[in-house]
Amino acid sequence: MKRSLRLLAAVAVLLAASGFSAAQSSPGVEFNAANAGPRTLEDLTSQSVPRDYAFAWQNMSQALNENRPDLLDAYFTGFAKTSLQQRIKQQAQAGLHVRYTDHGHKLNVLFYSPNGDVMQIQDDAQLERQILDGSKVIQSQTLHVRYMVLMTPGADRWMVRDLESTPATQSGE
Amino acid sequence: MRTLLTWLLCSLAAAIPAAAAELHTPKDIAAGTDFSIAVDGNGHGTFYLIGPATAKKHTVENASEISVPGTDIENAGNYQAILCSDECVSTDFYVHAAEPDRLSLLVHPSRVPVATTNAISAVAIALDRFRNIVFSRTDVNFSVNSSNGNAASHAQPTNRGIAWIRLTSAAKASSAKISASVGETTETRVVEQVASEACNLHIKSYWEANRLVVQTDPVRDCSGNNVPDGTIVSFTKTDASGKTTVDAPIKKGIAKAEMPVVGNARISVASGVVLGNELNVGGAR
Repeated sequence: MKRSLRLLAAVAVLLAASGFSAAQSSPGVEFNAANAGPRTLEDLTSQSVPRDYAFAWQNMSQALNENRPDLLDAYFTGFAKTSLQQRIKQQAQAGLHVRYTDHGHKLNVLFYSPNGDVMQIQDDAQLERQILDGSKVIQSQTLHVRYMVLMTPGADRWMVRDLESTPATQSGE
Repeated sequence: MRTLLTWLLCSLAAAIPAAAAELHTPKDIAAGTDFSIAVDGNGHGTFYLIGPATAKKHTVENASEISVPGTDIENAGNYQAILCSDECVSTDFYVHAAEPDRLSLLVHPSRVPVATTNAISAVAIALDRFRNIVFSRTDVNFSVNSSNGNAASHAQPTNRGIAWIRLTSAAKASSAKISASVGETTETRVVEQVASEACNLHIKSYWEANRLVVQTDPVRDCSGNNVPDGTIVSFTKTDASGKTTVDAPIKKGIAKAEMPVVGNARISVASGVVLGNELNVGGAR
């Protein structure tokens, strides 16, 4: 019995350390690299990019909901990370948080640099978003948002370096 | 009667809720620019501004417009302006990047063999002064300046913020400064163009104190560039005692090794994947 409890505790610690949320599963991602260029995507890259992007969204959703900038460390870097950190800091100061229900992403690779050090991706995301002041919902929207994403390879994963929504595709309440 | 009428009017006024406010934003908003949100109706309550790097909240009272400082919208992307009193009204607006003002330039590799087709790539990302990617078409001017005086340039428009080129390395070993410019901003990276593999590797031998000395002619690549000192050259001797290999680094353009020889021997030379000539030599003197 004691051994089982220790095992469970060890698994819980590992999950917490990995930066993944047990409460939120990673969103569905469709991935199309047919338009990628000038470099052709390697098989392993075609698997790791959508997987890591899904983990990035999972972590970002949790970070924005719980106002925890530490959750960004695993899959965000550069401008994307500093922007989200700033937003979470301001959310915490204002007593706000944002809850996303993620209905999935369609990724289309637009550019993969000749040396494989940067990838530009268009993401058509289906989301529900609630902005809350304390426990009061002040805005609730169902959204179709198009994001332009820059990802760069890290030591063992692809990281989101820039995540910018584009106009015209956002639909209202 | 008058009291009853007054009471009725007051009750009616209380029963009809105040008209909900409407928020109106300008159609074109650039990052970092001050602007105002027009309020139609009751501009009273708590105002929220949510954006890519922004989450602000403050109270407004009887406002016909709400001023938003440029410092609150430095990140391009979609924003939500929300005004809550008894109920909440909101509007979404888009902030686009400001004018291109800087570049992120990725040049690879930092060392490249000479005369190699499309060996160097340069990727430039156009950014505004807040580091937003400028998605509108922008001309990036790439230029290459070699330390031996050669120069070339090429203008390439961005596609969704990115412009890139491939370059063939020069025939002569030299440093190349690769620059990308947009407006007044220029970013530069240096690529060392170094000699390629050895070409026409040739050895000769002579005796020195009863030991055979084998040395190369000056080691050059096929374009005549000196292969860098430190590059390993392998000498292999096959004689009655078996096969022996000696690795020697190039020093001052030449690699040299001493080899004891028993009887007749055959000596060959290689550097990387390049093979040189073979020598047949007699026994020790």
